[in-house]
Amino acid sequence: MSHEHCSRGSGDAAAPFARPLGRRQLLQLGAAGTAGIVLSTAIDTPALAAKGKKRAYVLVLDGMIPSEIDSGLMPNLKALRDGGTHFPRARALPILETLPNHVMMMTGVRPNRNGVPANVIYDRKEKVHRDLDRPEDLRYPTLIERMNRRGFSTGTVLSKEYLYGIFGDRATHRWEPAPIIPVSGHAPDVFTGDALRSMITEHDPNLVFVSFGDCDRMGHVDLTGPVSLKVLRQTALVQLDQQVGMFIDQLKSTGRWENSLVLGIADHSMDWSRPDRVISLTPPLSADPFLAGKFEVSQNGGADLLYWTGPRGQRDEALKRMRRIARNVPGVLAVRRPGVLRLGARAGDLVVFCKAGWRFSDPEVHSNPIPGNHGHPATRPIPFFISGGHPVVRRRTRSVRATTVDVAPTVGAFFGLGTPRGGYDGTSRL
Amino acid sequence: MTDQTPLATRRTVLQGTLAGAAATGTLAVGPGMVAGPAEARSRFFRHGVASGDPRPRRVVLWTRVTPNAAATPGSGKGPRVKVVWQVARDARFRKVVARGTVRTGPKRDHTVKLDARGLRPGTDYYYRFLFRGQSSPVGRTRTAPAPGSSPDNLRFAVVSCSNLEAGFFSSYRHLARRNDLDAVIHLGDYLYEYGNGYYAMGFNNEVVRPHDPPTEMLSLSDYRRRHAQYKTDPDLQALHARVPFIVTWDDHEITNDAWAEGAENHQPDEGSFLARRRRAYRAYDEWMPVRMGRTAKVGDGTRLFRSLRFGTLAEISMLDLRTYRSQQSDMVPMPVPNPDASHSDPDRTITGDAQMRWLKNILGLDRTQWKLIGNPVMITPVVFPPLPTEITDPLVDMTGLLPKDGAPYNADQWDGYTADRRELFSFLADRGIRDTVFLTGDIHSAWACDLPVDAGAYPLTRTVGTEMVCTSVTSNNLKDYSDSPPRTSSLAIEAGIMTMNRHVKYLDFDSHGYSVLDVTPERTQMDYYVISARDDRAATVRWSAGYATKAGTQRVRPASGPATTRRKASR
Repeated sequence: MSHEHCSRGSGDAAAPFARPLGRRQLLQLGAAGTAGIVLSTAIDTPALAAKGKKRAYVLVLDGMIPSEIDSGLMPNLKALRDGGTHFPRARALPILETLPNHVMMMTGVRPNRNGVPANVIYDRKEKVHRDLDRPEDLRYPTLIERMNRRGFSTGTVLSKEYLYGIFGDRATHRWEPAPIIPVSGHAPDVFTGDALRSMITEHDPNLVFVSFGDCDRMGHVDLTGPVSLKVLRQTALVQLDQQVGMFIDQLKSTGRWENSLVLGIADHSMDWSRPDRVISLTPPLSADPFLAGKFEVSQNGGADLLYWTGPRGQRDEALKRMRRIARNVPGVLAVRRPGVLRLGARAGDLVVFCKAGWRFSDPEVHSNPIPGNHGHPATRPIPFFISGGHPVVRRRTRSVRATTVDVAPTVGAFFGLGTPRGGYDGTSRL
Repeated sequence: MTDQTPLATRRTVLQGTLAGAAATGTLAVGPGMVAGPAEARSRFFRHGVASGDPRPRRVVLWTRVTPNAAATPGSGKGPRVKVVWQVARDARFRKVVARGTVRTGPKRDHTVKLDARGLRPGTDYYYRFLFRGQSSPVGRTRTAPAPGSSPDNLRFAVVSCSNLEAGFFSSYRHLARRNDLDAVIHLGDYLYEYGNGYYAMGFNNEVVRPHDPPTEMLSLSDYRRRHAQYKTDPDLQALHARVPFIVTWDDHEITNDAWAEGAENHQPDEGSFLARRRRAYRAYDEWMPVRMGRTAKVGDGTRLFRSLRFGTLAEISMLDLRTYRSQQSDMVPMPVPNPDASHSDPDRTITGDAQMRWLKNILGLDRTQWKLIGNPVMITPVVFPPLPTEITDPLVDMTGLLPKDGAPYNADQWDGYTADRRELFSFLADRGIRDTVFLTGDIHSAWACDLPVDAGAYPLTRTVGTEMVCTSVTSNNLKDYSDSPPRTSSLAIEAGIMTMNRHVKYLDFDSHGYSVLDVTPERTQMDYYVISARDDRAATVRWSAGYATKAGTQRVRPASGPATTRRKASR
């Protein structure tokens, strides 16, 4: 059983971030603004400038719990949400992790079609546990690429390194997150916000896909989370709200607001566990001689992916044993087959979810020390709203279920794009 | 505070009246109004009309026909007859969209109940019954919105505990005058089993209206007669005729403090409890506009727990918390805390296994934004004192001497069956299920509460929903037991409970009335209306308080005024 790990994830072990440049020649435009923002632009992209007046901004508020917008700490975000169409029944989709839900947003299809079911998988070919942070890991045309082909310009402002990695050089304009906080692997919101505003000033793309990471990262390490104080988290919320406020001010002061659609969403919410509410499946699975040495566990916070690596002919028996053992471990909520969750083959053979207030820690019980986690069903609820000054935006609240997979259909419909080959799995919420 | 009950518009009433008069020269056909000569109505349709359990394409319709003088309720006499029913889009029945014939007779106490099918979702309909050329009063009903539709608003009356001997049903009268309700949710104790003067109004037990029969309900005839008496109340008739009901029972539809195999108010000399319960259920099936056993057919089953969906906005799951529950612990007088350790015994249940599985399945499907639970008895922990589970669980596991969730003041509600409550609350938390609101009756008082997973750690613990409890229509409450003027001695007890149980945000132990739940995608709001006096047939009503649950918060907060009417004038 190998636990070599070659990049970083949410609370995952860190490794040097390597971003493949891909086939495009990049033109670095240098410093923009006081923060030394570095934006890259692919010079062979059909559209360097925006096409038409329409603008769409997808703001991912990584890890946000819907009720936090009503906490009183986020007046700008609340005003933005309440000024548009709000979907209080919105949910993220399994696995409730950053990479799969960002990818679902930009593809409009589930992981069995886009190839990204989790943050961390066991790569059977390479025999390593790794983040799905390579551009080629994403196996379905993104909204970004489809817009590019239609002559629209696009931009990505993604605060986490692995997000920057998987979306690669797809966008016309990109911000390489910096400065990166060690271990967390993300750039603070103040820099992400600067980059967003700089990208709008410098390039003004039709679509900007931006992901703010502080809310998630401060939540992960917030030791006061299990007792609901969430001190660190709340400071992150305040700072994020300031960034949102400056972004909206920019749109309004530059006349862009009337042509803009702003879609606010999270990729998952957050749950906190105490130090004694930790599940480590590796020891009990290893205790079964039939399984020992012939399985892998990819830990994704509140979800573990189990892979049988033994002989194919023993797989059925192995899964039966793994399921039975996992179910009997305190804190385990459910064991599911990846097919039922539309996760595809990369998600392994079984998915194990934990209960609210618990977390997984594999291979060792001390492997995952962070109190804040997601990945399990308790972290499904997310904020989701469509706001902005464009006439298509209506001020209302809807009880239909919206999900992360609805983002691409919604933004695609805004720009008049047709459906991709095979159709979307999501629905336009306009 | 002023009387802010929205009334039917003058125009609406006039329309119905004038249209009917024009059609027949004698008919006045507003909902609940006479649709034939008065003597015909009194002769054939003495118990009014009702509808219930609205679904998108069907609704239960109900009446009782009295074909001759001998066919009195519970008599077992009278001929088998046919009754015609009609459903129309208009009050004048020019656009009849469904009709049929139902046979009835003494075996079912001459009650008529059917599922009118083939209707359109989210639509108002009028209905009536015809017998020997005479029409019943005209009822109005409304189907539920289509499953995939997203209504902007729903509004439900929420009522419970209507004891005829304890007063007039002024709450029903005021609700019948509203023009904005999708349904009435009746959470049980629709009628009471007691004989004359045993449980009437106030400390001195004044009988405002005597029960019929004068003795406690025991036989099938007793239960039928009591149902019939309640159905002759003009206020209840008016409300039934105007709005579909969604009902469940609590204990008094059978007898006080019922559980699976007995009841506090069932004595050995009263025969078999289960036989008595079968009779009570039979009469309920005959006399209530409800699908028991999943159908409107009488006698094909007694399963009452069921769910009704209203588009993507709300699903109402109605519970039966009497049929399957374990026996209550040894009761101590309310409100003395009851330290019986059996309250947290995992082998005891209030729902029964099948109902718990069904409820969890409904909630897990998460088909609508709001998950409304029609919950006959309170689920909010009300204990003395609530302690964090991290403290009490190991202590109780070791000693087995105390209930895990603290000593409740009323073990007849979920506080006496805390293993089931923990199972349900954990389920909601583990699945990330939001916007669950329990609508509750039973306790003759009005409450608004957050539902913490760990009450002892509140507010530093997650909450999984909220609970809104309506007060009684007429049944006695704390001021009556203490023989105190309203809002005097009760205030100290309310303060004590709310101080010890910080998740209880609103409590009124003294008032009587009804509640109205307004549902939008943004929030639910429960408005509490209070009547002036139970023994005044012309009692007035006022808005007393309102508590809202904003979407995604699982917390109640006070509202500054009653929910505003968003209905179109035509409703």
